[in-house]
Amino acid sequence: MIGPAAVDLSLELPRGLRLDNPILVASGTFGYGVEYSEVVDIQRLGAICCKGTTLHARVGNRPPRVTETPAGMLNSIGLQNPGVDAVVRKYGPTWQGWHVPVIVNVAGESIDDYVEVAKRLDGVPGVAGIELNISCPNVGKGGLQFAIDAEAAGAVTAAVRRATELPLLVKLSPNVADIRPIARAIEAAGADAISAINTLSGIAVAPGRRRPLLGNVYGGLSGPAIKPVALRIVYEVAQVVDIPIIAIGGVAELGDVLDYLAVGAVAVQVGTVLFADPTLPVRLIDELADECRRLGLDSYLPLVGTALPKRSSPRSASSAKGVEYRP
Amino acid sequence: MQLVAAELVESREILPGQWLQAFHAPALTVGSRAGQFVHIRPGDFSGLILRRPFSFNTVDRTTGVITIHFRAVGRGTAWFTRLRPGDRVDMLGPLGRPFEVDPRSRHLLLIAGGLGIAGVRMLVDDALRAGREVTLLFGAASAVEVYPSNLLPDEVEYVVATDDGSLGHSGYVTDLVPAYEAWADQAFACGPAPMLATLARLAAGRSARLGVARLGPKPGRGAGRSGGAARAALPGSPAARRKSFLQVSMEQNMGCAVGACLGCVVMDTSGVPQRVCREGPVFASDELDWEGGW
Repeated sequence: MIGPAAVDLSLELPRGLRLDNPILVASGTFGYGVEYSEVVDIQRLGAICCKGTTLHARVGNRPPRVTETPAGMLNSIGLQNPGVDAVVRKYGPTWQGWHVPVIVNVAGESIDDYVEVAKRLDGVPGVAGIELNISCPNVGKGGLQFAIDAEAAGAVTAAVRRATELPLLVKLSPNVADIRPIARAIEAAGADAISAINTLSGIAVAPGRRRPLLGNVYGGLSGPAIKPVALRIVYEVAQVVDIPIIAIGGVAELGDVLDYLAVGAVAVQVGTVLFADPTLPVRLIDELADECRRLGLDSYLPLVGTALPKRSSPRSASSAKGVEYRP
Repeated sequence: MQLVAAELVESREILPGQWLQAFHAPALTVGSRAGQFVHIRPGDFSGLILRRPFSFNTVDRTTGVITIHFRAVGRGTAWFTRLRPGDRVDMLGPLGRPFEVDPRSRHLLLIAGGLGIAGVRMLVDDALRAGREVTLLFGAASAVEVYPSNLLPDEVEYVVATDDGSLGHSGYVTDLVPAYEAWADQAFACGPAPMLATLARLAAGRSARLGVARLGPKPGRGAGRSGGAARAALPGSPAARRKSFLQVSMEQNMGCAVGACLGCVVMDTSGVPQRVCREGPVFASDELDWEGGW
C-alpha cells in the first residue's frame, strides 16, 4: 500500500456540524432516511438531507410528478410533506438515535414561514442542521422566487439566522442570470454553508403531444445531465464566498466527486442517481478513501479547489471576492 | 426488500411488442406475493437513469425463477428486449403491498385490461394452489393482443372481450363483470385507469344490487378509525383491502419505488396522496378518489 493507511474523510462545518465524510444524500431523493435503510447502511453517510419541510402540511402537485429525461429526470412533487410538527414528531426520535446527522430541508412561501419552521426545529434532538430551499415563490413579492433575487435571498437567510442556532445551509437555484451576487448576499446574511445546485426548470411533453406531461407542467431537472451546469455554478461561487460549498448535481461516480472538489466544493450530495443505484453513496465513501490512499494523502482536503484560478491574495481578502467574470 | 443480481434465463415476444422474460432470482421468490413488484435497473451506457417497475408476473419458488411481462414502449423497455440469456440485471424487491385474499373467499374474479394481466397473473397461480376457483376476464383492443391461453393454467375460466369484436365479447371487459358479481367473493383488477374507475363504480353499487354485503364490514363497524374497536380495519391496512370486494393494482410514473421521492402518488378519498410504491400498488377500490380530485 502506498501512503498512509488511515485516511481521515471527516469534515468540520461551522457551528460544530461534524460529518464523518463528505458524501451526503440530497433532499427529496432520500425521504426521511428510513425508506432506504433496508438496502443502504445509512449510518455511514456523511449526512442525510431530508425531504423539503414546510410549516403546514402540503398535498403536493397533481401527477404525473416524475419522468425520465436523457441522463436525468424531471420532478414536480410540489413539496408534499406532513408539515414540520408532524415531521419532528414522527422522525425526531428516530433521528436522535442515529449516528448520521440529519439536516432538515426547509421551504416556505414567506420569510415568516421559514422563520417559524426554523424556530420549531431549533433545539429538537436529532436535527443537526437546516438547509434552506429558497427556490420557492415569495408570496409577499408577487411570487418571485427568493432564490433569484439577491436581496430576498439575503433577507430570508438573515431572518432564519436570527431564529436558530442550528448550522444553516442555503441551497442555490441555478435558474438565475448571475449566481455570484446571490451567493454573496447569502454569505453576508450569515449562512454557514451553501449547497448548490437545486434543479433546473424544465418541461416534458405528454405522449400524443396534446399537453405537457407533468401534472404541474413545470418540473425540476436533475441527474447527470445537469452536472456541467452545477460544476460551473460551484466554480463561480467558490471564487466569491469563503463559506463551505456542498455540491449537488448528477453525482454518479467518484470522478464526479473529484470534479466538484476540484472546483471548490468541500462535500457533495448524491441525489437522482441513487434511485438507480442506492448503494452508490456508501461506495463513493470507500472509493474516495482509496483515492486518497493512492495519492498518499491522509485527508481529502488537498483535493479541494485545485482547478480554481490562482488567487493573488488570501481568500478572505475582499479583493478576491471582487473578481469579475471575464468570458 | 433487497438488491439482487438476477440472471436472464429466457426472453421471448409473446405478443406483438409484448415480452415475457424469466430471471433466476431465488432470493426474490422467497416472501414475494402477488401484487408486489420489482424495480429493475437498465444498463447505464444509454443515459437511462431510472429503474423500471415490473409486477411479479409469475414466481416459481422451486426453480427460483420469476417472470416479468411488459410492452416495449420506450428506450428503457427496448433495452430490456435486447437482454440475452446469461445477462445479469440489478433488481430491487420485493416492493409494495400485495393483494389480500380473504381466507373465506372461494370464488375470485380477476379482471385484466391489456398489459394489466401482468399485475394479476401471479394471483391466478396462488389462488388455484389454495384451492380457489378463478375466473379471469381479459380485455384488449383486438384479437392480436389477447393474452395466449396456453400461458394460463387449465383450471382457470378465461373469458375474453375485444374492443373490435375480433375475439370473444365485442366491447369492454367491464361489460362482463355484472354477470359474475354475484358469483365472486372478491375481485382483483389491473389495467388502464378508465377501466379501473368503471370497476370501482360497479363495486360501489354491488352491495345494493345484490342486497347483501357478503364479506363486507358488519353494521356498526364502518370503515375508519372512528369505529374504535381494536379489530376495525384501518384505512390502508391489509385488513381493509381484504374486506374490500374490489382490489386494484395501480400504475404511476415512479422514481425511487421505496417511498422516498413521492413521485408516484394517487389520491385517496380523504384527500391524502398515497404512494403507489409503498401504500400500493394494490389498493381497495373504495380507498381511492376516482374523480381525480386534485
